Amino acid sequence: MRALSFLFVLVLTKPILPSDPVDYVRDIKPILKDRCYACHGVLAQKSDLRLDSGKEIQSVLIPKNAEDSVLIERIAESEADLRMPPEGLPLTREQITKIKSWIDAGAIYPAEDQPEKDPREHWAFRKPIRAPLPDVSIPAFNQNPIDRFIAAEWHKRKLIPQIATDQRMLLRRVYLDLTGLPPTQEEVREFLSDDRPDAYERLVDRLLSSPQYAERWARHFLDIWRYSDWWGLGAEVRNSQKHMWHWRDWAIDSFESDKGYDVMIREMLAGDELYPSDHERVRGTGYLARQYFRFNRNSWMDETVEHTSKAFLGLTWNCARCHDHKYDPISQVDYYRFRAFFEPYQVRAEMVPGETNFAKDGLPRVFDCNLNAPTYLFIRGDDKQPRKDKPISPGIPSFLISQELRIREINLPPESHSPQIQDFVLKNHIELARKESEHAVRAVVKRWEAERARVTGTPEEALKAARAAARAEKELENDRAARQVTKAEAELAKTLGIRRIGPAKRLAIAKANHEKTILQLKNPGETFTPLQGALKTPESNLENEASRMKPFPKISTGRRSALANWIASTDNPLTARVLVNHVWLRHFGQPLVLTVFDFGRKGQKPSHPELLDWLALEFMEQCWSIKHLHRLMVTSQMYRLSAKESDTQQAIDPENRYYWRRTSMRMDAPTIRDSLLLLAGELDPTKGGPAVPSAQQANSRRRSIYFFQSHNEHNKLLSIFDDANVLDCYRRTESIVPQQALALSNSAFALDRATAIAKQIDAKSNGEFIRRSFVWLLGWPPSAEEFQACNRAIDELHRLANGTDEQKRQSAYARLILALLNHNDFVTIR
Amino acid sequence: MNRRGFLSNSCLGFGNLALAAMIARDSPAREPWSLPDGKPHFAPKAKSVVWLFMNGGVSHMETFDPKPELTKYAGKSIAQTPYKDAQNPEKLKLARVTVINDANGQQRNVLYPLQVGFKKYGQSGIEVSDWLPNIGSCIDDIAIIRSMFTTDDNHGAQTQFHSGRHMLDGEFPTLGAWVHYGLGTLNENLPQFISMGKREYWNLKDGHYLGPAHDAVPVRIDPRNPLDFGKPERAMTDAEQRLGFDLVHQLNSIRAKAYPNDSALAARIRSYELAFRMQKSLPEVLDFSKETDETKRLYGIDQAATKDFGSQMLAARRLVERGVRFIQIQHGAGGAGVWDAHGGLKANHSKNCLAVDRPIAGLLKDLKRTGLLNETIVVFASEFGRTPGTQGSDGRDHHIYGFSVWMAGGGIKGGVVHGATDEIGFHAIENRHYVTDIHSTILKQLGLNSRKLELPSRKRLDIDHGAPISAIIS
Repeated sequence: MRALSFLFVLVLTKPILPSDPVDYVRDIKPILKDRCYACHGVLAQKSDLRLDSGKEIQSVLIPKNAEDSVLIERIAESEADLRMPPEGLPLTREQITKIKSWIDAGAIYPAEDQPEKDPREHWAFRKPIRAPLPDVSIPAFNQNPIDRFIAAEWHKRKLIPQIATDQRMLLRRVYLDLTGLPPTQEEVREFLSDDRPDAYERLVDRLLSSPQYAERWARHFLDIWRYSDWWGLGAEVRNSQKHMWHWRDWAIDSFESDKGYDVMIREMLAGDELYPSDHERVRGTGYLARQYFRFNRNSWMDETVEHTSKAFLGLTWNCARCHDHKYDPISQVDYYRFRAFFEPYQVRAEMVPGETNFAKDGLPRVFDCNLNAPTYLFIRGDDKQPRKDKPISPGIPSFLISQELRIREINLPPESHSPQIQDFVLKNHIELARKESEHAVRAVVKRWEAERARVTGTPEEALKAARAAARAEKELENDRAARQVTKAEAELAKTLGIRRIGPAKRLAIAKANHEKTILQLKNPGETFTPLQGALKTPESNLENEASRMKPFPKISTGRRSALANWIASTDNPLTARVLVNHVWLRHFGQPLVLTVFDFGRKGQKPSHPELLDWLALEFMEQCWSIKHLHRLMVTSQMYRLSAKESDTQQAIDPENRYYWRRTSMRMDAPTIRDSLLLLAGELDPTKGGPAVPSAQQANSRRRSIYFFQSHNEHNKLLSIFDDANVLDCYRRTESIVPQQALALSNSAFALDRATAIAKQIDAKSNGEFIRRSFVWLLGWPPSAEEFQACNRAIDELHRLANGTDEQKRQSAYARLILALLNHNDFVTIR
Repeated sequence: MNRRGFLSNSCLGFGNLALAAMIARDSPAREPWSLPDGKPHFAPKAKSVVWLFMNGGVSHMETFDPKPELTKYAGKSIAQTPYKDAQNPEKLKLARVTVINDANGQQRNVLYPLQVGFKKYGQSGIEVSDWLPNIGSCIDDIAIIRSMFTTDDNHGAQTQFHSGRHMLDGEFPTLGAWVHYGLGTLNENLPQFISMGKREYWNLKDGHYLGPAHDAVPVRIDPRNPLDFGKPERAMTDAEQRLGFDLVHQLNSIRAKAYPNDSALAARIRSYELAFRMQKSLPEVLDFSKETDETKRLYGIDQAATKDFGSQMLAARRLVERGVRFIQIQHGAGGAGVWDAHGGLKANHSKNCLAVDRPIAGLLKDLKRTGLLNETIVVFASEFGRTPGTQGSDGRDHHIYGFSVWMAGGGIKGGVVHGATDEIGFHAIENRHYVTDIHSTILKQLGLNSRKLELPSRKRLDIDHGAPISAIIS
């Protein structure tokens, strides 16, 4: 066993006994740090007091006299107004007793005790450093850099890694991990018979280039980016936007083509500014369109700030909305400076080729609409109290950026600020007009030409084109009126007697109208109906139709590009680390930094700081390629470890923070549903397109990522298995509730899949059926005990079933499959 | 651990696994913290809660808080009455607007007369609306709180009433979720937190940061199909199903030998056991065939107007009897809730009152005669009241500044009125209570200290905890 090359000795740490004297570093400092430092530490020094070092605290105590010490007086104060800390629960009696006994023992602290470090020195705010790769003594673990960092840590902690898992389990693991789907029987056979030394690496490459990979990993990131289809009340869109699937498809395409993560960030935050003519990239701004909230711009902006900073930077910027951040050097002003990047943006639906009706399709995207919209600080976060005397401009606090951001306005190309002049818009409108008449087509063409001339031509050209458009429109109206007359005449001709009154009246109206259009034709003027190429989403329920129709600004503020370029820059200490941590979490079952959205001073320290830095740098050097990260991670030796338990290792590292074995994970909701479909041979591999509406989901065989999902509409089956919360999902919950058991045992979906899966298995005997289904569904051949249990169950089920022998056999097999789907180790990825 | 041992705290045993993991990763263990052990923190007065929530907003003035001055000054603007200070902008600052420039949730200036008469009931002589004679007959068991207020002037207040937080603050656990989180099970065969009736847009889940294990389990009054996925959706005999569950249990137990420390595996085994028992037990609870006709009449199950809600009330009693902790019942599906009488208040409220009056009184009487009322708190609430002024010609708008809630049983005093609104029912002026005071009162009766339930990573504010209304506790 390769792991045996580690020699280890169990070191027993000395237990802390209750009679031990109170120790400043162990017992006192953590209390003060948690409850006092925010106001009396490096970030703030209220009443000129600091409590963040043993030396500083002496000013509020009398050694060996706790009773008369101000510190004790204030923390033990019975009057709430006078008590410290002023917020939250008072210190517990136990905590106060500890502090008292420490003071009574002389308030001793180590000479080397230092006050809190400058927050700018916090590890995550400093750029990553590339540490030399450690040399480890096990040759197999001395190749992949990840293995080298991980194994060095094992060595340090005297941990012995588990052996590698067997090929079948590895195959199941890597398939589910990279594609969210288990292998088919044929794929299992194929892999097991491939004896080339690099069979596994080849498989990984193949999986990474499959569209199923992109669907799986786009889903992970859509969790983090809060993907949601629209929701509201009745037909009114209150949150997110219609046709949000364009953004979902952008994400899938981005993962499939291994678009750099830096580019993804630019496209999401500022695709409209940076790539204004490229609809494919502008789709990325669906991220911002999703933040839309019809009723309250402040809460729309708040959520945008909160989740942009958590998702990309791993910072809880939101904590500074009402007051300076208690842990990180983010002031309340910084909060509103961050908001100011987003202040000008609004949402619109861009016309897409082939559809003029925005209710049916349209690309949800953003654009800078209100270029001068001011941002004000709200006193104590109260939007009724804006500081109007001090408008706030966009910016990043200096601890995160070496040079002030330069924000430059961007001149947008005509097809971006005036989307109606694009060729396909004309084509769309022609298609529609063609259904009516030649006149209608002509009017559309002239209107389009006039729009174009207005945007790109000289004033003379514009005027000329406008006149032509006005004339073509009047001609169309005249033609319509003439047709109305003909129609009314025909109607009248068909009617007799008293019934003629109505038609005669209608004919008179039609004729009068026709007269009017003839008159108009003599002087058609130069006003024409604007051609629509995009439809702005109402900024709020106050917006009227007229203001929605205003032309879009020809420039964009450039604020969001500046922000995106900074976030996606190699100088940013956070972005790459946060991303690496998210990818790591999904491959290994737990992240290197436990607090995935908080890398600030309140967050957790990384378990392997050097590895995290190494990966972040490597990632940026490899053009922010996420596939490169996958490859590094899943081809490591530690990825292949068995999930088996070990009492001795568990005693050292019960949480497996040092990855001495594989951490088991529960399949997430889409993986459960998609896997059942795949195993049943029924998965519909169609990619992309409009979301499958709730009413069609029960019969849909498509992957779950394509299901309509919003705060209001959840697929019942998926939601029972903790489907993503569209408001906030940096990491999925893995709950275990009885409803899951009921869903997998009783739902028509599970029962039908079980029947179909049973038919996929080719077996000549019960024994063969049991063995094959075990291996395929769970990844290991049944033990004698498992085999017997299944065999007995099949016999029993056979006896209980009705029908012919063949029907009974099929029914028993389907029930056995159902049991295996309900096996803990089916939904568990070991 | 023996079978009974783990079953008796099974909801705590596996439901909180995900939560414990979350706490472990999100909050460094600065303070000693552990999951609740399922026992009350101090001696409880009540075991169960029946939470009746009228969706849409009940007019307090036409139910439990009569205001003759409305009739006296009907048609006058508030400014023309002696009570013009009610619209003092300072006093209206309470509202935190979700829907800017909403058509509803506005000030309604012209006073609208009372649409119903009132009668005194019981020894206490408390006045109750003529639309609610049956509840009136139980008044000596009821404590009315007439001085409630909230801050969301739209139906997001439904969320707020359950969680204590304005919907713009985000999503927070509801009262039922806290009770479920804090207290162990009294019946190993039934979910401990059950919801009946349709929940609206704002108020779909409970557990939130406590996790989905603390969401209410939705139950329908249909003994053949009471639970989502509560029975096989394809033909399967009981014997087949039993065999299937047994096989899963057997296979998982074999696997557990190889993974003795795998808490998720152990939890899953237990969740399958509870699932099986739940689907077997619930139909029996919802099967009323053994109830007498007299009992069914008591709940109004014999009448078309009261049959639906009456069945839910009878189910509530049967669930309480079997030890279910928290039964949350929403009345009034549709729109924002059927009580939302922006127009036609008289027709609306008389009809809705008719639908709930006998059933609720039936529940109170039935619980009382079986002795269960002593250990069961029944709460009647809605997200806010309605405006003293008229909306349109015959409606009332949303009103957050003063409204009524009542409670009965579980150590709550009967025949008591607590707090008061001003003469036109506008502002709560005496013993004002925010919605979390209701939560706090209930938790106290259940023997729970909400501060002890708090998660280290989720500090709650004083207002989230509220304070018990000691004046109505006996």
